[in-house]
Amino acid sequence: VSRHQLGEFEEIVMLTVGILYKEAYGVAIIDEMEGRLKRKVSIGALQTVLRRLESKGYLTSEFGEATNVRGGKRKRYFSLTTLGSRVLRETQEQRMEMFKAIPRMAFPKS
Amino acid sequence: MKPLPNIQPPELFLRFFRWFCDPAIEEDIEGDLREMFDRDVTTGGSIAKAKWRFSIRILRLFRPGIIKKIGHSTPLNRSSPMFKNYFLTSMRSLMRSKGFSSINIIGLAVGFATFSLISFYVYNELSFDRYHQNADRIFRIVENLRTENEELFQSTSSPPMGPNFLREFPEVVSYVRFQQWSLLAQRNNISSYERDSYIADSTVFDVFSFNLLKGDKKTALREPFSIVLTESMAKKYFGNEEPLGQTLKMDYDNYKVTGVMEDVPENSHFRFSNLISFSTWSRNNKRAEDVAWFWNGFHTYLLLRDAESADQVRAKMKDFIAKNIEKGGMYYEDLPLQPLTSIYMAPPRSWENGARGSMSNVYILSIIAVFILLIACFNYINLATARASRRLKEVGLRKSLGALRRMLIAQFLGESLIVTFIASLIAVMLAWIALPAFRTLVESPLSFSIFPNPWLVAGAALTLVIVVGLLAGAYPAYIISKFQPLQIFRPSAKGIFGHHNLRKVLVGIQFVISITLVAGTMLVYDQLDVVRNQDLGFDKEGLVILPTNGDTAIVNYLEAVKHELKQVPGVIDVAGSAQIPGQSANNLYTEIEMADGKMSPTNINYNFVDYDFLATYDIKVLAGRNFAREVKADDTTAYLINETAVKDFGWTPEEAIGKKVHGRYHGKIIGVVKDFHYRSLHTKVEPLMMALTKNVNRMAIRIERSDDVHATVERVQKKWSELIPYLPFDYSFLDVEFDRQYKADQQLGKVAGVFTGLAMFIGCLGLLGLTSFVVERRTKEIGIRKVLGASVFSVVLLITREFIWLVLIALVIATPITWYLIGQWEQNFTLQAVINPLRFAVAGLAVFLVAWLTISFLSLRAATANPTKALKTE
Repeated sequence: VSRHQLGEFEEIVMLTVGILYKEAYGVAIIDEMEGRLKRKVSIGALQTVLRRLESKGYLTSEFGEATNVRGGKRKRYFSLTTLGSRVLRETQEQRMEMFKAIPRMAFPKS
Repeated sequence: MKPLPNIQPPELFLRFFRWFCDPAIEEDIEGDLREMFDRDVTTGGSIAKAKWRFSIRILRLFRPGIIKKIGHSTPLNRSSPMFKNYFLTSMRSLMRSKGFSSINIIGLAVGFATFSLISFYVYNELSFDRYHQNADRIFRIVENLRTENEELFQSTSSPPMGPNFLREFPEVVSYVRFQQWSLLAQRNNISSYERDSYIADSTVFDVFSFNLLKGDKKTALREPFSIVLTESMAKKYFGNEEPLGQTLKMDYDNYKVTGVMEDVPENSHFRFSNLISFSTWSRNNKRAEDVAWFWNGFHTYLLLRDAESADQVRAKMKDFIAKNIEKGGMYYEDLPLQPLTSIYMAPPRSWENGARGSMSNVYILSIIAVFILLIACFNYINLATARASRRLKEVGLRKSLGALRRMLIAQFLGESLIVTFIASLIAVMLAWIALPAFRTLVESPLSFSIFPNPWLVAGAALTLVIVVGLLAGAYPAYIISKFQPLQIFRPSAKGIFGHHNLRKVLVGIQFVISITLVAGTMLVYDQLDVVRNQDLGFDKEGLVILPTNGDTAIVNYLEAVKHELKQVPGVIDVAGSAQIPGQSANNLYTEIEMADGKMSPTNINYNFVDYDFLATYDIKVLAGRNFAREVKADDTTAYLINETAVKDFGWTPEEAIGKKVHGRYHGKIIGVVKDFHYRSLHTKVEPLMMALTKNVNRMAIRIERSDDVHATVERVQKKWSELIPYLPFDYSFLDVEFDRQYKADQQLGKVAGVFTGLAMFIGCLGLLGLTSFVVERRTKEIGIRKVLGASVFSVVLLITREFIWLVLIALVIATPITWYLIGQWEQNFTLQAVINPLRFAVAGLAVFLVAWLTISFLSLRAATANPTKALKTE
């Protein structure tokens, strides 16, 4: 499955989409990421990654209802696809396995 | 969260976003942007900041992945596949060397942005008064007035001229006379000086295209004491009330509002806040209106049948003057007609109404704009030709596959068009962002309404982009398309300039331009310094000026008011006068006794002053004495005269004392004062007479030059409102007012400074690009040199020495050019600064240093790098 490599930012975006479940649209994703990770996320970077993940088939999206808050523009809600959730899970497992493989001695005593 | 219907995100950026964004994803991203914007507005405080962040977000969305796919939906893919391939390779080559592409794009973008801002300003300056429908048929009567001693070139005319021109010349259709009245307007509790009140003939709305919103344009200015207000003045005094039919008190009279008009456009050579019917003046001056041919306090405009008939009128002028105007000691040499549209830029005549532009400033700024664009173009040419060898393989392959030379030329021209086009998009953003700052810089409102047709502007901009794109791309396209496929095996690794002398010349020209701009800016500041520090003949610092407009209470109790004001702590002296230095002055018909004892008629400038005028302004008496309260007859017999007048009449100061003068009263000269600049600094000091008066229009208060000027002014204000509560305390500082006369020139200094900086910036970008290219090409050579023992210094020198010569040659070329240009510009001033040759050396050195730092920055990095790294790269 090595061809499904996720970049760090891609991974975080997918995690956030998962966390927000049915509420994952642009601004909410940015808020969630900024809130959890304490780092600035630019809309340009996020949107590019979202579209890329969608074209890879990891994410899917659909329009929500129009509201008048956003100048009548609909929100686009993202959600994980089956492929996406599998890739995400595999990534997490890989990480965990690697973390567990670190010998206890390697951690400096604190 | 409530929707905010009133605050909208910046339209321009939004439109840009909609244009570039992939339509499939446009809607929801725009929604996100709007949501974030609304949130910024409601939580983040300032709207400007919200708009700023909105724009930045859009700029950051301008990236692959968001931009719509070219070749899918655009017409490009419908044309030949070859074209698409050209486009793709061009884009790839741009993306591959992001550094060089961004240098080109940023340079061109800044160049375009400055060029368009300056063009906007220049267009505004040249658009003055052209909005009138009859603009080419309107002429102003001006005078060449001959007196016994001199010829005066005045912008004014006298009341009988208009009516008599209309009667005598069939070519004249109509006339309007104006006279400026500075009036104190009062209504309810608003009172304020309306300095730009004008009386005008009722024909004003026929001749000029001022837009009357309310009232009847035929009758509005017919009856005495009728007034037409501009919209903003109507709002000021009447708020939301209906002004039509109401009365407004101005000075001591009540005026009936008979009309409301649109504000006078900013690009008008004179602007007014209201118009008063001419009959208000003429009802008391019936005789003067018919015969006062030399009462030159008016500006008369004629509407002619057509633009050409001006020549016919001019041809008959000599006869007209001879027939109608009695020739005395003073007579009209000529009455020229000045086309309305030329007034703003024409060299000012005396007594001009309104501010005047300066053609030389327009020229200088235009030159700077072209220079900056040139520098940016040269950058493109230099980098494109320097990097041409990078495209060798591509060109070789294309040629082997049968590409014709013209196809290659088209490809590379297309590439430069793409670059200029991207640059122009960024330039629009830059210009948009910089416009408010630019408006402040040139102190001009620069409203878009001056453009007759927005499509014309867009067309002009597009033409400019294409022309620049072709100019910049032509030579590189020619060079690159010339490559022989075999050259691929023989890439050259020459210095910055390779064997292209052209590149050397272009960089040289950039240096010439930079040195010219730097030296020029310094010399402009030298000149402004000279002007600011020149001896005015009086002390302008610490003088507070208060208008009183001949208020009767002040006139009646002048001495008492002055005495009271003098008691205020911090006040040294108080004087009243009809005019203050720096303003205009009146000129009056006067007869003066000459050396042979005969009385000679002349038109001499006057100021009417009080006893403390000389002391308060600190004006020196050269001979004789000042006015003295002890001498009872002084207010009906005594005259003071200035140095220039004495010289003009061929006297020594001592001889002048006792000469007879028949002016306002019959009297004698009692003293000669040292020359002081009583009018604009742009004009030489002319002869001046001073006589005593109580009819004071302006008070001057000299205050102590302590740190607490503000407190003193406040104390004076308190006293003032006790003494004369109904007169507004509308003070100004004389030195500030005086400096304002050089506003246009100071602006030029500031603007030149800013744009010189920009030009240097773009030039440095180019140098940076060239150097980094050379360093990149010579990495290995430098590595070997270092291994063989070359020092860091000698490596840096290797790279930098090529342009040291160029700066020197550029200095030699730039010096005479700048010398000449600045010399021409200084002709505008009566007192000219000496051109300091040292400035050129400093400019040359500055340009050299900046260029050297730019180059050294990169070459030093190459020179200090570990040679093994450089040699390992293969």
